[in-house]
Amino acid sequence: MLSEETVEKRNAPPGVNSRSLSIAHSAADLEVLREIENVYFLPPSEFDAGRFVLEHAPATSCDDIERMFTKLKRQQQVVSGKALHLISQQRDNCDREFKEIQTIRDQLSTTLETCQKAREQLRAASNHLTISTFVILANFRKRQIIRSVLKSLELLRSLRSVEKDVAELLTKKEYYEAIQLILKSKKAASSHKEYTCIADLATRLQDTLDMTEEKLDSVLSNICYKFDENVFRKLRKAYALLGKTQAAMEQLHMHYSSAVNESSIEAVKNYVGNAVDMKFQDMCQSVQPNKAPICLLNLCENLFLIMKSYFLLVDWHSKYDDEETVPISNNVFEIEKNVSREYIRQKLKAGLVRIWHDVQAKVSTFLRSSGLEEYPFEKFIQMLGILRKLTQVAEVFCGDKSDLLQDFIKTQSVLYIKNYHRGRMEELKLFLENEGWEQCPVKSTFTLLNLQEFKQFKKYLNLRSDTSFVKAQSDSASSVHSQDDSVYISKYFKQSTNHTPFEIFRNENITNDDIFGLEPEAVSDDSDDEPEELKRDFVDESDQPESTKGSPSKTKDSVIVANTTLSVLRHCGQYLQICRYLPQISLEVVMLMNQLFDYYFFSVHFFFTSDMDVASTTLYSSKLNSVLKRIKNYIDTSNSGEMDGKIPCPESPNHLNLTSEETLHGLSERIVAVESVIFLAKQYELLQPYLESIVASHQKMILEHFKDNTLAVIQDLRVPVYMCSASKAVEVGPALIAMSKVKWDVKDVAVEHSAYVDMIIRKIQVFALRLENVSSKVTLNSEVLSVIWGMVSKFIVHLLVEGFSNATKCSNGGRGLMQLDYRQLFLKLEKISGLKPVPFQEYVDKYVKAYYLPRKGLEEFLQERTEYSNKHLMALITCACENKKDRQALAAIIEAKDASI
Amino acid sequence: MSESYEYLFKFLVIGSAGTGKSSLLNNFIGNKFKEDRCHTIGVEFGSKIVNIGGKSTKLQIWDTAGQERFRSVTRSYYRGAAGALLVYDITSRDSFNALSNWLRDARTLASPNIVILLVGNKKDMEESREVTFTEASQFAQENELMFLETSAKTGENVEEAFLKCSKTILAKIENGELDPERIGSGIQYGTGTSKRLNAPKKPARTPSDCACHM
Ligand SMILES: Nc1nc2c(ncn2[C@@H]2O[C@H](COP(=O)(O)OP(=O)(O)OP(=O)(O)O)[C@@H](O)[C@H]2O)c(=O)[nH]1
Ligand SMILES: [Mg+2]
Repeated sequence: MLSEETVEKRNAPPGVNSRSLSIAHSAADLEVLREIENVYFLPPSEFDAGRFVLEHAPATSCDDIERMFTKLKRQQQVVSGKALHLISQQRDNCDREFKEIQTIRDQLSTTLETCQKAREQLRAASNHLTISTFVILANFRKRQIIRSVLKSLELLRSLRSVEKDVAELLTKKEYYEAIQLILKSKKAASSHKEYTCIADLATRLQDTLDMTEEKLDSVLSNICYKFDENVFRKLRKAYALLGKTQAAMEQLHMHYSSAVNESSIEAVKNYVGNAVDMKFQDMCQSVQPNKAPICLLNLCENLFLIMKSYFLLVDWHSKYDDEETVPISNNVFEIEKNVSREYIRQKLKAGLVRIWHDVQAKVSTFLRSSGLEEYPFEKFIQMLGILRKLTQVAEVFCGDKSDLLQDFIKTQSVLYIKNYHRGRMEELKLFLENEGWEQCPVKSTFTLLNLQEFKQFKKYLNLRSDTSFVKAQSDSASSVHSQDDSVYISKYFKQSTNHTPFEIFRNENITNDDIFGLEPEAVSDDSDDEPEELKRDFVDESDQPESTKGSPSKTKDSVIVANTTLSVLRHCGQYLQICRYLPQISLEVVMLMNQLFDYYFFSVHFFFTSDMDVASTTLYSSKLNSVLKRIKNYIDTSNSGEMDGKIPCPESPNHLNLTSEETLHGLSERIVAVESVIFLAKQYELLQPYLESIVASHQKMILEHFKDNTLAVIQDLRVPVYMCSASKAVEVGPALIAMSKVKWDVKDVAVEHSAYVDMIIRKIQVFALRLENVSSKVTLNSEVLSVIWGMVSKFIVHLLVEGFSNATKCSNGGRGLMQLDYRQLFLKLEKISGLKPVPFQEYVDKYVKAYYLPRKGLEEFLQERTEYSNKHLMALITCACENKKDRQALAAIIEAKDASI
Repeated sequence: MSESYEYLFKFLVIGSAGTGKSSLLNNFIGNKFKEDRCHTIGVEFGSKIVNIGGKSTKLQIWDTAGQERFRSVTRSYYRGAAGALLVYDITSRDSFNALSNWLRDARTLASPNIVILLVGNKKDMEESREVTFTEASQFAQENELMFLETSAKTGENVEEAFLKCSKTILAKIENGELDPERIGSGIQYGTGTSKRLNAPKKPARTPSDCACHM
């Protein structure tokens, strides 16, 4: 401000400028100047000179104004002159100053320019250097931060997708990787606790881990049904990662247990109507009987798959676990690992037995509740075959001999065969009750081997060579599983096969021999030429229809077989077939087979001796008696219906005509019946060597006993049965009456035999004629004929003795007549019957001749002869002893004999 | 035994050899059909419990041999049969021609009231048929027989044949034409009924007091 004033002052009109003042001014001028009021030096803006003057102009006279004017004019002139003077005086200075100012001015503008430039450049520099660097630095820092955020986010994202990834891995069966992923994720999650979302994620990861473990567990449980080496290896690695190798093995064992349960139920379920909420046992009980074999098959097959899986598991461990074993190590961890491994090994070993035990229990439950004994034979055999296979499987599986199952098979078999037998016995009863006792037209060479049922036994029963029995022996011994069996079975335990040892049972055409692996080739050998031959082999084709009676077939050597005989033989064949499959119960089966015989034999006796009208004591041999007694013990003859385990006795058939004299009281039926029993006994005898070969050696005695005490005795049955017909050859009453008419106290020996002899002979002739008729219906071989005639003879001698003993008085001549009579009779009988000599003659002979004995001899006779009744003997002494004392003494002997009995 | 039934019918299967009697029976009692079945020797037997009109009935079936030479053996089984299947083979005129003989035997040897169903077997072999359905129906009508054509091979009408015959017997029992109580009727009350036919007891025969002592 001050400077500016200064600057302006320099340009302003001079006033206070001392330099101008000092330069050359006239004094007047100076005076004028001094008189100028200061006010005029005020700047025009503050001071209006005109107005000032006007205001200060004296209002009185023009002179004053003129004077003032002149003064003011003077003042102005001075001032202007002064000013001009001053201006000219200052001009150079001014010019110099101006010049100086101009240079400064120029300098200033260049400076400004430089400054501007500098500023500009500085700005550019700062732009180029500072800011970009800082931006870079800032950006870098940002990037760093973003990166770490991104990483976390990525982690989070990956954590979030763990579930999915794990699931993916699991479907790819990468269990180890899955577990690894989860564990890693868990670790990552735990190191990022700062994020709030991680907490959630961590729990989710735990869930995923749990779920994955569950999944592993389910895969593990599937191992039970099908062991897959690769899967199992992966599982093991995964579990090892989890540190749960041992726990997993425990778990696996539990799975095996439940797999046994579940697949058992699975196998049975489909055969039970409504299986919901049913216990296994109850399910088994409601399986339809006809479905039981297939159901058992399913059960065994299912269980086998589990056993196979376990077997492979054990096998895998023994193969691969060793590889991993670290020999001896001081590393605590390794030691622990080895201990665990050893534990697992033990566990696996025990597991084999345990699983088999479980399997056995299931199968037993099924069998126990399935009413096995009611099945048709084929089905039963099939079931047994399945069980047998199972025992073979078990032997390969764990070396177990399946005692439990074997016992079970045995008891069930016994039950079955008993039940089966009951059915056969009922059938036999029916057959017997309906039997017409007609001779079946079979060839004279017929034996049981001609029957189809015995086809399989032909090779064992080869009647010519004994060596074949050795073979049978070895065959029955093969029930103990052979080496081959186990090799065969172990094939099915291979991982590579999808077959099971049970699938042969699915084949419709399977034969029992296939099931039991019994020499199939031998059977086919036979069967090639057999069936065709079998059809007709034993049936006598030459036999013409009935009309041509007395056909050549009824030759002396033809066999006598009734329909029921064939039926019994067929049953025997079936029993023996059962036996082949159940060698353990051979003895039981053979005993039941013998019972068939007993029953047949007993029935024949029962039917055909019921009309016995003579006392029978001497008709029965003691052995025959004891056989009948033995059989009678288990037959319910009371017909009370109250059987208490006894077998009902057949009802005597009322269609048999046993009363017609024409047919000799059903003699042909009697013959067919008795001879067929004898034939049957012979067939049983044929079987004996084979039977002995199939029972244990200590049981042979039993068979021998049956052979000696039953089969060998059967022929004795002819006597009582044929006696029933023979004893009706001559009517007893009329004959005795006729004899009583004879005078035995004649003096002389007669020439002519008595009339009753002719009468008896006539009757015998009629008998012979009728017998001829019988022979057209039935083969009468010499044995039969001789027994029949023997019985006729026996009957007649008894009749004679009875008749003779009726004679109260008898002379020597009378005794002679008696001899004459019976000689005549026997002569004729010999001629008619063809028997030479006629048996039983001595019975009457001795009796008649005793008459001639001295007293001593008579005494002996009385004591020794038990075959005569007291009545006979009394009559004898009455006739023989004239002396009364002697007679009394002898009578005393007879009475004493009586008392001693 | 577990089986219980109300009636028991005795049945016969008769007819010429090879007509398929055994095959029919086997089919009925549930055995497999065999192409090469042997001729029956004598008599064979099978039984089955069937349900007829709500009544469980046991059929006791005797399968007789058709071959001539067995006639004498098989005859004794005719006695007291309640029903019979008289079988011929539709592919064999001979077997049809023999029917009259078989029928006569059945009516004389079994009971005259016997219910007989004529069976034309081997229906599956239409191409070799020798006996027409019509002429067989006519024969059946003339002889008062029921009639069915069957196939033991395919099982067609097999069960029907046995059931139809059984039904007729049952109907006859119910209308009183047949009396189960009569001996030789071929019908018995079974274990399932309270009325139990008492076994006809024969008077026990003891050896007579014959003077002969042996
Ligand atoms: N195609 C066909 N063949 C049958 C039929 N029934 C039986 N056969 C066959 O005919 C043959 C004789 O059958 P069987 O049942 O033995 O005849 P059968 O009447 O019992 O004969 P016998 O016992 O001798 O009286 C066998 O080869 C059977 O396979 C059938 O319905 N159709
Ligand atoms: Mg037949």
